[in-house]
Amino acid sequence: MNKLLTSILSLGFAASAALAANPAISAVKVTDDLTNVDGNSAVWAKAKYTTVNLYPQMAIEMNDKNANEANENNKAKAASVAALYDGKNIALSVKWLDKTKDVQAGYATTTYGDGFAIQFAGITKGAQPLPYIGMGSTGRPVVVHLQKANEKVYEPNGNGDVSTQLNRQQTGVFGKELAEYDAKVASLANKDYERVFVGEGFRSLTEIKDKSVKSNSSMSHDTKGWSGTLVRPLKDDYVNMSGTVPVAIAVWDGSKMGRNGVKNLSSWVAVNLEGQKPNAALVADLTTDAKGDAANGKVALETNGCNGCHQMSAADPKSFMAPSLKDVGGYSTASYLRESILKPSAVVVPGYNRNAHANTPWYNIEKGKRISTMTDFSHLDKKSVDDIVAYLQTLKAEVE
Amino acid sequence: MSKRQLAMVMDLNKCIGCQTCTVACKTQWTNRNGREYMYWNNVETYPGTGYPKNWMELGGGFDAAGDLQPGVIPNLEADYGVPWDYNYESLVTSSADHSHFQPHVSPTWGPNWDEDQGAGAFPQDNYFFYLPRICNHCTNPGCLSACPRDAIFKREEDGVVLVDLDRCQGYRYCIAGCPYKKIYFNPKISKSEKCILCFPRIEQGLPPACAQQCVGRIRFVGFLDDEESQVYKLVNKYKVAIGLRSDYGTQPNVYYVPPTESPAKFDAEGKIIEGSTRLPIEELEKLFGPAVHDSIKTLKAEMKKRKETGVSELMDILIAYQHADMFRLDNHYYQEVAKEHKRTPLAPVDTRYIAGKFTKAGGHH
Repeated sequence: MNKLLTSILSLGFAASAALAANPAISAVKVTDDLTNVDGNSAVWAKAKYTTVNLYPQMAIEMNDKNANEANENNKAKAASVAALYDGKNIALSVKWLDKTKDVQAGYATTTYGDGFAIQFAGITKGAQPLPYIGMGSTGRPVVVHLQKANEKVYEPNGNGDVSTQLNRQQTGVFGKELAEYDAKVASLANKDYERVFVGEGFRSLTEIKDKSVKSNSSMSHDTKGWSGTLVRPLKDDYVNMSGTVPVAIAVWDGSKMGRNGVKNLSSWVAVNLEGQKPNAALVADLTTDAKGDAANGKVALETNGCNGCHQMSAADPKSFMAPSLKDVGGYSTASYLRESILKPSAVVVPGYNRNAHANTPWYNIEKGKRISTMTDFSHLDKKSVDDIVAYLQTLKAEVE
Repeated sequence: MSKRQLAMVMDLNKCIGCQTCTVACKTQWTNRNGREYMYWNNVETYPGTGYPKNWMELGGGFDAAGDLQPGVIPNLEADYGVPWDYNYESLVTSSADHSHFQPHVSPTWGPNWDEDQGAGAFPQDNYFFYLPRICNHCTNPGCLSACPRDAIFKREEDGVVLVDLDRCQGYRYCIAGCPYKKIYFNPKISKSEKCILCFPRIEQGLPPACAQQCVGRIRFVGFLDDEESQVYKLVNKYKVAIGLRSDYGTQPNVYYVPPTESPAKFDAEGKIIEGSTRLPIEELEKLFGPAVHDSIKTLKAEMKKRKETGVSELMDILIAYQHADMFRLDNHYYQEVAKEHKRTPLAPVDTRYIAGKFTKAGGHH
């Protein structure tokens, strides 16, 4: 009986933990210089790891049969995240389960590398609402640091070393000289696939190539999974961190043909810089559940016909008219959900669903702006909106 | 919809499968830097498995309602075939007698693997023909529709479909979306690459490399709105040139004159069956749709007319007396486009091909 009660209690706890928004992460202040920190650095012993759930993002079904089959019934991944800062730089460590080590091979079109990305909100006047996750939104930029597992390959690197861009058979050298040539090519080979992007909404994501962001990320694999680290300055032209830093994390699984939208994604997570005054409103927004009654919200959502276009759970048939909401609670903040209900055109995911009928687009382009075909629900009373938001926040996959 | 559309016609009756076009393209564009395995132009034996393997069954394109269909990304090793190397150095440096010439991997597939295999029972009714394939620079490209980053675009001035390598992040949706599997993934730079219809050559008054090098003179190049171009005459006037797999709904802009001639079959005694033809029309229908019947009818009628009267414009075009006549490019037009965009127009490299709809009398600028 006691045992049964414990298991019921623990199940109840697991369920409520799964529903609760992510906890805040504490960035420990250290005296060590973090500039060259990587996954093996001893300084991580000082860090406090917090569990952050990463939810499968498949709002738009992609146009690849194999990938769709591989990603059916995906569950959320629990990642351990920790942060450190030294006054100049912030370092983040992310560890997530992934038994298969997938590296983008030099000669394959069907292998996909594992990878992770860490996103920061760019410099904006007000902290709220936060930019749209993944791409940012107009006037609310994001900076995305992407690291992928890539095999060492020779890539023309713009340094003018064209003499090494030859097939080895075309070099006209043999034996020892050829071995020397191979060694030279290997020394020039590009291994690290680290990219930094800045985005202000869909289709604006642009790589920062001028090296104005001095970041360093790396990833390593052991039997359990990957650990990735990123170090970047607290302040630069794009980001200015103090008090509470909103951060979002995404991971890609190569064995599931993970790329673009096929990934696991967290919501915005609050990282409090230890010893600095936290942004209480922001922390509250990101760590507490929306105020509202989820059960009432479900009824309100059905009576307002939301499920006519949106898919709410994996069990519902795919309508393709609008983005699927089956995991939306996992990676969206309450304020984003509220905004989408009241102003559907504020953030519109571009690219009609590939399987939707051309006569039922979910947006039209007017004067260069995407205008959602969803009607706005600003006529709803505040309580109904709160209830719907509370319900939407419960829509998320189980944690693996 | 672009303002004008550049198009190519290939006369399959004249293709001898020599792969000169393949080599012209390969050496010009894809011989290194991660493109080793890709053939923007390839000539396959039809019926056959093709390159990549079974490309006709890998999905992509649009259905009748205009919805993009899911597709499969071919496997480099199994479906394209890895570019293998030989053990040259061990032949030179090894003193052992048992060293012999061999590829470094065991090849399982390649771009011309089933050459001349064809179908039918030898010798009574075996058959095949050659099918050169490049990117079709479709009016409604599946690759463009599939790209989530807007990294693929169709040029306003001539409808050439290109990948913006700055925007491309190597997601490979385009490969799934293209029913012809004529967009390739460069694993070294993690980006998609494809046939560019030799636009840097076209802009300077030169035909694409595959077309200029073609020894069989099977390729015509011109603008579809230029009524003087042979492309216009073959596609719109005589309607003998048809797009490949138009059932995919992409509106391809590479057109084919279907093969009309094939030898007669033999009977059990080894005698010719009079009036028989080895090439089943169903095979051509599979590639070109029902329009192939009218095309063949027109071609046969014009051949007959030529035999009887000695006059046929269509036959004159297809015979291609002068190679230069097969290309009607429009250098003047490109010069105007360059001026409009305040770029420096380059002088044409070769003046033989520059005449076009917008070329004013008195030569080029």
